[in-house]
Formats: sequence, structure tokens, C-alpha cells
Amino acid sequence: MPQLRFIYLLRFAVLAAFLAAPAVQAHHGWAWATDEEFEITGTIQSVRLGNPHGEVTIDVDGEDWVVEVGQPWRNDRAGLSKEMLSEGREITVHGHRSAKEGERLVKAERIVIDGKNHDLYPDRDS
Amino acid sequence: MIEQALVFVENLAFVSALRNSTFMYPLVNAGHIFGVALLVGGIVPLDLRLLGLWRHYPVMVFVDVLRVTAALGLAMAVVCGALLFATAASDYAGSQLFQAKMVLVLLGVANALILGRVLRRLDIRSLPMTAVMPVSLRGGALLSLVVWVGVLVLGRLLGYF
Repeated sequence: MPQLRFIYLLRFAVLAAFLAAPAVQAHHGWAWATDEEFEITGTIQSVRLGNPHGEVTIDVDGEDWVVEVGQPWRNDRAGLSKEMLSEGREITVHGHRSAKEGERLVKAERIVIDGKNHDLYPDRDS
Repeated sequence: MIEQALVFVENLAFVSALRNSTFMYPLVNAGHIFGVALLVGGIVPLDLRLLGLWRHYPVMVFVDVLRVTAALGLAMAVVCGALLFATAASDYAGSQLFQAKMVLVLLGVANALILGRVLRRLDIRSLPMTAVMPVSLRGGALLSLVVWVGVLVLGRLLGYF
């Protein structure tokens, strides 16, 4: 009876979801980044804001680092305007760097500009 | 020349609005996924029936229904996908994953159009119900299956590389 088999499959799926849930909750970081807190300061070279998330390239001692900032509403909420994220501004980024060896990419959780904090993820420690 | 055209597209007023929107971008994204779901969700059972599964159900039920839903899904995926493309046209155009995906989409559409003609020419409506499909149809169905699943996988990889 195909209906009966479908119910079994459904039950199995629900059970599997419940078993997997704690594992997902236990994971706090970004899938592609290290769990270690990271901080970096540099001068903005170029900016591409917008969905799905903005990218700010900063110069750090002659090396380019790409900083992933939020999507428009998250940047707005953190009080980050287009003018603040423009070429030549110095910013300090708190967040997590890419887990890939040698990749200069940071997921920003908090950005400091002119001594002022802009928290993209207020619920996270950063 | 092409680069200028891509930048022009990115800077169109409604494209900028979409790029900086709060809800429209995720909704267009959802529309794209809905289209892909309809497309792949129709193509997979249709191709499997042509390949020989569920031979106790009439083939034309699969063909007549699923071809329409898959085509509607494709149309929706193309429209929403074009909008998503426009928000970062230069980046996407330069991505090899994106280029490969577009080649596969064109291959998939061409294959589907050819399959449609073959279906009509071979008059499979008059074949006995559990008949094995002609080899040209099975080949086309297998190609279709591989191509559209490939399109889906490349599309997803695009978001991560």
C-alpha cells in the first residue's frame, strides 16, 4: 500500500529533522569561516553594496582584503550609509575570516568607523 | 562594448532598486526557485517515464501535463533569473559557472524542442501502453535529465564560488 509507505517516510523525515536540530543549533559560526574572532583595519579601495550582500575591498599594508558586509536592510539597521562605506575611509572590521588557507576574505559582524560601532549582528558576540 | 552594456543594465533604475531592496530581491529569488522547482519537478518524472518507469500509467498523461508545467517553470525561472542577473551583470557574465549554466540551459531547451517534434512524429499516442519508448526518445530523455539537473547544480554552485 503506497499510502502506508508514504506515512512511514514522513515519520522518518520528521524524526531525522528532530535528531539533526541540536547539531544545527550547536553551530554558531559561518559555514565557510573560522570560529575564531578576527579583527582587521584598512582603507576602503572599492565598494559594491546591495543584495545578496555588500562587498567592501580594503587595503591592509598593501594587501587587498574583501569584507562581506550585510544586505541593504542590515547595513541600514547598523547605521552604515553609502557615504561611510566609500573609497578612502578607514574602517576596522570585527568578524570571522575565511577558513580557506590564504584567502583574504572576512565576514563582518561589527564595523568601527571614526571610533563608532556599527553592529551588523547585535545578537552575536563580536 | 559588452562590458558597457552590462554596466548599463546594472545601472538601470529598476535594477538598482531591486539590488538595494529589502523584500523584492528575496521575492524574485523565491520566484526563480519556484520556477526551477516546477521545471525540474516536471522534467524528472516525465523523463523517467520515457526511460521506462511507471509503464502501467499512460505516457501521454506524463507528456501532456508535465511538459506544460515544466515549460511554465522554465519561463518563470528565466524571467526571475534575468532580473537577478541584471543586479550584478558584469560579475555573472564573467563567471565560468554562469557561462556553463547558460550553455546547459540552451542545450536543454534545444533538446526539449527536438524531443517535442520526435514525440509528434513517432506518434507514441498509438503505442501499446507498456511499450518501451523508441531509442531516440530514451536518449533525449536521458540527456534532458542530465542537463536540467546539471543546470540546477551549477545554479546553486554559482552562489558559493
